[in-house]
Amino acid sequence: MNWAAYVENGKPFDDIYIFDVHGHIGGDIRLQLGNHTADDMVNTLDRLGVNSICVSPILAFASDWVRGNELALDAVKKHPGRIYAYATPNPFYEDCDLSRYLVPGNGILGIKAHGEYQAGTSLCDCRFDPAYEIADQKRLPVLFHAWTARQVAEGMDVASRFPNANFIFAHVGFTDADAKAGVITGAKKYDNVYIDTAISSSYDGTIEYLVNRVGDEKVLYGSDCSFFDCCHTLGKLALSRLSDTQKEKILGQNAKKLFAI
Amino acid sequence: MLRFVDAKCMIGRRNAPREGSPVTREDFLEIMDRCHIEKAVAHHAMAVEYDMMDGNHTLVEETAGSDRFLRQWCVMPQTFDEFLSPAELVTEMKKKDVKSVRLQPKTSAYSLLPYAIGELMGAMAECRVPVFMDAGETSWDGIWQLCTDYPHNTIVITSPGYRCARQLAPVLAACPNLRVGISNYVVHGGIATVCRHFGAERLLFESGMPVSSAAAAVSLVHYADISREEKELIAAGNLESLLSEVTL
Repeated sequence: MNWAAYVENGKPFDDIYIFDVHGHIGGDIRLQLGNHTADDMVNTLDRLGVNSICVSPILAFASDWVRGNELALDAVKKHPGRIYAYATPNPFYEDCDLSRYLVPGNGILGIKAHGEYQAGTSLCDCRFDPAYEIADQKRLPVLFHAWTARQVAEGMDVASRFPNANFIFAHVGFTDADAKAGVITGAKKYDNVYIDTAISSSYDGTIEYLVNRVGDEKVLYGSDCSFFDCCHTLGKLALSRLSDTQKEKILGQNAKKLFAI
Repeated sequence: MLRFVDAKCMIGRRNAPREGSPVTREDFLEIMDRCHIEKAVAHHAMAVEYDMMDGNHTLVEETAGSDRFLRQWCVMPQTFDEFLSPAELVTEMKKKDVKSVRLQPKTSAYSLLPYAIGELMGAMAECRVPVFMDAGETSWDGIWQLCTDYPHNTIVITSPGYRCARQLAPVLAACPNLRVGISNYVVHGGIATVCRHFGAERLLFESGMPVSSAAAAVSLVHYADISREEKELIAAGNLESLLSEVTL
């Protein structure tokens, strides 16, 4: 497949299956985002040839978890098969029961644990455990926001305690060396640990480096759209030195298995 | 096919390269070839991490015989004879075929105000030499001040970051002499938005190598929801136009 020809012509990747494991909808008081509604997201998917994206509304982890999760439900209902979502817990609410969102067939495929936006709460805080228990029982994917070595270590603790759930470490911890080392070690140690590619400023060679160390089965395409433009990471993957098979696994085939789509 | 000319690339052996990132000239050229980047404005890591003039001279040595790298020198004001005077700088730049300069006030601990760099900026303006600086070297208020204090200089702000849209827009509106590189401006649809509000003339393609990804940066341009003409300006036209105006 001539990946470069797609990028150089700005053409959508219509011939391969692409599933983006890391997206968001809604705005953020902290910074100005680009177009960020569910409709905007689908327009972006069409422009790039991305089949589907799994999102967590920023509202759900930055402010009102109930309205945020309802926003996720609305988005997946409006765009079935194009937008999927994560249910998002808030550790400060004892009544935060995500089981009502995690109903088979409704398009909510997993759980997003942020922690950092929630007053810096640890990912291994026991108040997140009810959400992880659901993921463990239902064998669901959990997406971790994991920029720092501390967050990576917290996430690994959770992954070891809930072996039936699958944990995707977002951003690969590439902002500091300890985080990077921790996530690579964890991905090799635990069968249920995966890595996504959403890194705002990573260099050429990042993805090849990761794949060489943890294997192409453990890396998933995540854009972190609408914090970042979807094409940023997609283009980096398409123009990387990975083989066609490796690119196809990372862009969609691995996610297809993990999310049981 | 779009032609790309890169407005920011730092070559040289760095103190702490990230694993798998480009280090040698051949590493950079391989990525440039893969991403169809014809040429790159390059400064040297040693001028950022160690000694400015040692780094600038090393840049000249390491780019000798290559037409793929367009030399850029890091600069600072002459204090206690540590650096070249503006007149000496102009003479040396002319000799060494250097057509742009880079400020690094935070890294090298100097002021951007006219009492400190006014003479240097005047010399660059006289020769129409574009002045580059990373956004992280000062605040956005500092960038506004820089553009306002030196209205006859073209200021190119590189690596602006995805969180800066609210600061960037008013400075673009207030400062017609400001241009912005795109390597780390990864705001969703950000390039199209800037083009719509301020025109494609204000943006320059930059890879940001070796810290940022050239492949990601070219993709931002290829997939931007803008016209072919606008893409051509951002990919190469705007930078080539700036460099063609240099009268050294």
